[in-house]
Amino acid sequence: METVNERLDQIVEEFVDLDGREKLELLLDFANRLPPLSDEYAAKKTTEDRRVHECQTSVFLWPEISNGSMNLVAEVAEEAPTVKGFVAILAEAVASRPQPEAQELPEDLLEKMGLADVLGMLRSRGLRAIVSRVRQELINAE
Amino acid sequence: MAEYADPDVLVSTEWVAEHHNDPAVRIVESNEDRALYTQGHVPGAVEIDWQVDLQDQIVRDYVDREGFEEICRNNGINNDTTVIFYGDKNNWWACYAFWVFKLYGHPHCKIMNGGRKKWQLEGRVWSTDRVSYPSTTYVAPEQDKSVRALREEVLKHQKAGKNLVDVRSPEEYSGERLHMPDYPNEGALRGGHIPGAVNIPWPLSVNEDGTFKTAKELEKLYCKANHLKRRSPTIAYCRIGERSSLTWFVLKYLLGFGNVRNYDGSWMEWGNCVGVPIIKGSHPQGASDNTIAPTPLP
Repeated sequence: METVNERLDQIVEEFVDLDGREKLELLLDFANRLPPLSDEYAAKKTTEDRRVHECQTSVFLWPEISNGSMNLVAEVAEEAPTVKGFVAILAEAVASRPQPEAQELPEDLLEKMGLADVLGMLRSRGLRAIVSRVRQELINAE
Repeated sequence: MAEYADPDVLVSTEWVAEHHNDPAVRIVESNEDRALYTQGHVPGAVEIDWQVDLQDQIVRDYVDREGFEEICRNNGINNDTTVIFYGDKNNWWACYAFWVFKLYGHPHCKIMNGGRKKWQLEGRVWSTDRVSYPSTTYVAPEQDKSVRALREEVLKHQKAGKNLVDVRSPEEYSGERLHMPDYPNEGALRGGHIPGAVNIPWPLSVNEDGTFKTAKELEKLYCKANHLKRRSPTIAYCRIGERSSLTWFVLKYLLGFGNVRNYDGSWMEWGNCVGVPIIKGSHPQGASDNTIAPTPLP
C-alpha cells in the first residue's frame, strides 16, 4: 500500500498539467467522492464540538486512529465544493495509513497542485490552514 | 417608502432565464467558492472572480484601468452591455463585482435578485458549458472615487461624526471575536469597531431565499432603528469590503442614499493600522453610549 507521500504525489501529478477550469473539475470529482456521514457520526455532530470554528465554511472533522491507522471522517457544506474537494483529497491520502505518516501532509500541497493561482491568495491561505489543522489533529489523536 | 429608490437595478431570475441569450446582456457570476461556477452556472454566464480577476495580485488594490478593460474585452462586454451579476452567499461577491464595475464607471449594471440560491430553489437549469464570447474594444474611464472610501477619508469622516455602518457580526463589531493565528487571512491585530459606527449585520438586509428585503423593511432597519440619514454622507465597511458592498448597494440603490461609499480596506486595514481610534464593546461610542441599541440578529 502506498504511503501518504506517494498517494499525494499521484494526486499532484493528476492536477499539475490541467488548466484552471480542469483543475476545478477534478477537484469537484474528489468532492463528490467524500462519503456522507454515517448515522453514527451524524449523531456525534450534534453532541461533539467537531466544527472547525475558524473556517468560514461549515466543516466538521473527526481524525480517528484505530490500531495505529488513520481515518479522517469529515463533512463539508455543499455550497463549498472547493473546501469539500480539498478535504476529500486529505481524507483519501491518509486513509488506513500509519499515524506517523500524518507528518507527510505538506502545507504547500495547493501550490504543488497548481491550485493556488486558480483560487487566489485569500482562499489559498484558508485551505493551507486546513492542512495544518488536519495534520495537527491526526498527530494528536489517540 | 413603498418602492426601492432605483428598482431597475434588480432583475428577477425569470428575467434572466428569458434574457440569457440576449446579445445586449452579459450575465456574470462571482462567488466565494470558484468551483460552484464549474459545477453549474446560469446558461451563458461568464465568471469574473473577485480575487483572481478583479484584484491586483501584487499590490493590495483592484486591477488598474487597463486591467479592467482587459477583463471586459475578454468576456465580450461592451461599453453599452447590460451586465447582470449574481453569485453565492446571497450575492455578496456579485455586489462586490458590481461595485468594482461602478468604480470603473460601467453604466448598466444590475443584480439578479436572490442569486444562486433562488435559481437553485426554483429548480432552474444549471449549465456546465464552457462559455466564451468574441472579444470587444471596451474602454474604461479612470476610477470613480465617489464610490470608494480610503483610510484617510474614513478617518476624517469619523472625526466629523458622519454616518458609518459596520456590517460585520456583533462579535466582530464588539471585538470579542479575534481569529486564530493559523488564519492570517482573517486576522487583524486589534478587535472592535470604528468610533461612531452603528452595527447593522449584512444578513438583516436579505430574506431566506437570498432576495433583498422590501423597501419598507430596509427603511425601518437603516433609517428608523439606526438613525441613518439619507442626505448625510455614509461609509460602509466590514472585514475585507465584500459584505459592505452588499450594504453599499442596499443604501445607494434600494434606499436612495445620495452619497454612500464602500471602505474596501475595512477591518483588515483599520484593525492593523497604527494609531487609529477603536471602540471595544457593543455600542457605537463605547460603554457610556446608549443612544442606539445593537441590532440583534434574527
